[in-house]
Amino acid sequence: MGGQRAQVVDERDSQTETRAGLAAGPPPDLVFKRRLRPLQVAQELWGARELVRALAERDLRARYKQAVLGFAWAVLTPLALCAIFTLVFHRAVKIETGDVPYPLFAYVGLIVWQFFSNTMNQGAVSLANNLSLLNKVYCPREVFPLATMLVASVDMLIGIGVLGILFLATWTAPAATFLWVLPLVVVQLAFTYGVALVLAVAVVYLRDVRHLLPIITQMGVFATPVAYPLDRIPLQLQEIYCGINPLGAVIEGYRRALLYGQAPDLRLTLIAAASAAVYLVGGYLVFKKLETGIADVA
Amino acid sequence: MSREWELGTIRTEQVWKRFKADQQRMLLRDRVEQMARKLRGGRGEDWRWALRDINLHIEPGESVGLIGSNGSGKSTLLKMLTRVMYPYAGVIDVRGRIGALIEIRAGIHPDLTGRENIYLFGALLGLKRREVAGRFDDIVEFARLGGAIDRQVKFYSSGMQMRLGFAVAAYLEPHVLLVDEVLAVGDAVFQQRCLDRMREVAEQGTTIVFVSHDLPAVQSICRRGIWLEQGTVRVDAGIKDALAGYRDSIEAQSEASTRTDEPLQLLKHAIRGDGRENLTTDEQMTVELTLAGDYRGDATLHLGVSEGTSSPIFQISHEVRLNGEERQIACVIPRLPVPRGRYTLWAGVYSIGKTDGGTLMSWHSVGQFDVFGPMLDTPPRAVVLAAPVFVPHQWEE
Repeated sequence: MGGQRAQVVDERDSQTETRAGLAAGPPPDLVFKRRLRPLQVAQELWGARELVRALAERDLRARYKQAVLGFAWAVLTPLALCAIFTLVFHRAVKIETGDVPYPLFAYVGLIVWQFFSNTMNQGAVSLANNLSLLNKVYCPREVFPLATMLVASVDMLIGIGVLGILFLATWTAPAATFLWVLPLVVVQLAFTYGVALVLAVAVVYLRDVRHLLPIITQMGVFATPVAYPLDRIPLQLQEIYCGINPLGAVIEGYRRALLYGQAPDLRLTLIAAASAAVYLVGGYLVFKKLETGIADVA
Repeated sequence: MSREWELGTIRTEQVWKRFKADQQRMLLRDRVEQMARKLRGGRGEDWRWALRDINLHIEPGESVGLIGSNGSGKSTLLKMLTRVMYPYAGVIDVRGRIGALIEIRAGIHPDLTGRENIYLFGALLGLKRREVAGRFDDIVEFARLGGAIDRQVKFYSSGMQMRLGFAVAAYLEPHVLLVDEVLAVGDAVFQQRCLDRMREVAEQGTTIVFVSHDLPAVQSICRRGIWLEQGTVRVDAGIKDALAGYRDSIEAQSEASTRTDEPLQLLKHAIRGDGRENLTTDEQMTVELTLAGDYRGDATLHLGVSEGTSSPIFQISHEVRLNGEERQIACVIPRLPVPRGRYTLWAGVYSIGKTDGGTLMSWHSVGQFDVFGPMLDTPPRAVVLAAPVFVPHQWEE
């Protein structure tokens, strides 16, 4: 292959001749295949960090510009749910939480759940809502769900600030094992992002998925040990459960580390970590595979 | 790959692209139906080729006009060059930073201010915050936003929103600038500024690919023309040759589509100069037409001369009384006001007195003729001549 210029002047006159002169399709070995090089992908994503920040900033600003209470909503939602859970599960169902006050117990679960459901719900429509943009400007598309996760992280940080206040109010100090939180955060982020990636690209191809989201959100908050401890799930099923829903092990781990002063169950945490890794890598591959067709269907 | 291509190089090798022929909805039940059809062994999906075997090599600094009729694949090719769309087969390689001068009004967030949107766009186009800040004044100046910059975008006029989108893209300073039909929107002043900006970046060595139906604008910016037809490259040559070929084909199509069931037919026509065949600028031109048809009554005959489009450079008309027989009409233009080039004669006949402008013979191209004479003085780059007109003049100093 040299640097020759393809300046071919085609003198064919009739269009039929043009059509006959060409094969019905390209040779099969030329068919475009998406090759993902991890290093290249990472580089591109790193190059787009400014964009992720700008998109998240856009969403945050836009969200709170219209709302009178502004960032207070990030606190009010989990607090309200916390109050309801305390009434229903603590007073009525009598969930046993040991010597930890129930509101604190539920609140830890709710922070994780709010983060997941915010990222999932916003992330799922993040591509569909920006299609007009995606059809004109190139950028690595995974930044859109990533930006929604960043927005949800801001909400989560505010929620964690309130957790500190709750600690003060209930006169409980966070346990000394709280450093265990760090690996658990990684598992939580990986799982949440993986799910958001798959849903984001699924919504572009199948608008029906949008209607699934509220159902997942509604059912998930009860299917995940948010309001109750993980040991409510039969012991022999716990491993399978954490394999399917790593959030179970994550929430349980947070509670042990922050509230009970114990190390998280190592076995369950490892299962959850492996599962979250599968969600993330699988979700990313699905996303990248389907991403190539977004401009064709949108 | 035998060597590293310079920044600003565009290369496509055997690029094919197809779309589904049937309009599809993004609903689950359609997918289920489709799957069921496939399982029952029915035909799969219908595909339509949008681009077939596109091989291009564009050097850094070249300015290329992409022309062709609707559906010829221009925008698809451009989308693949921006990497928004992926080819079905083949290799596309665009080196360097790609800028696209496109309307991205849809991406503007209405609740944010103009300033916030500029930074958002900048990030979207791959600019660092610092880089946007460095060009911020240029951008605001280009978009003519002035004091509105700190207002929320939802309070902008639609023109302001559009200019905001262009302005960021125009100051990206890319290696490759892709432009799709920017001139279709915006007022005349803004169009001219877009062209000026394109000329500026072209002079800085940016590769430009310009898609437009505004042929004079393409000619004013581009040196090379690529004419796409039905998804293949029909002509890839200098801009003048490509445009000439494309214009000829438009006229051929227009001639072919002339209806024969109209009340009046043009039987014969002749175009000649003063005493000889050749036509010369600023000299006499005679057009002889023979009309036939059943129509009786008054009618207006219109003649026009165009350069490759159905919009004439000038138009003249004459009232005639037809009596249902063959009729010969001659028109003498003593001083033909067009410079050297190839032109098309258009004609049409319309009845008088009817408010609906009853068409007796619809406006169609009659034939082509060449004019010899002086070339038109070259306008400065990015200045678009609406039509070539020869104006006798003299300079004094």
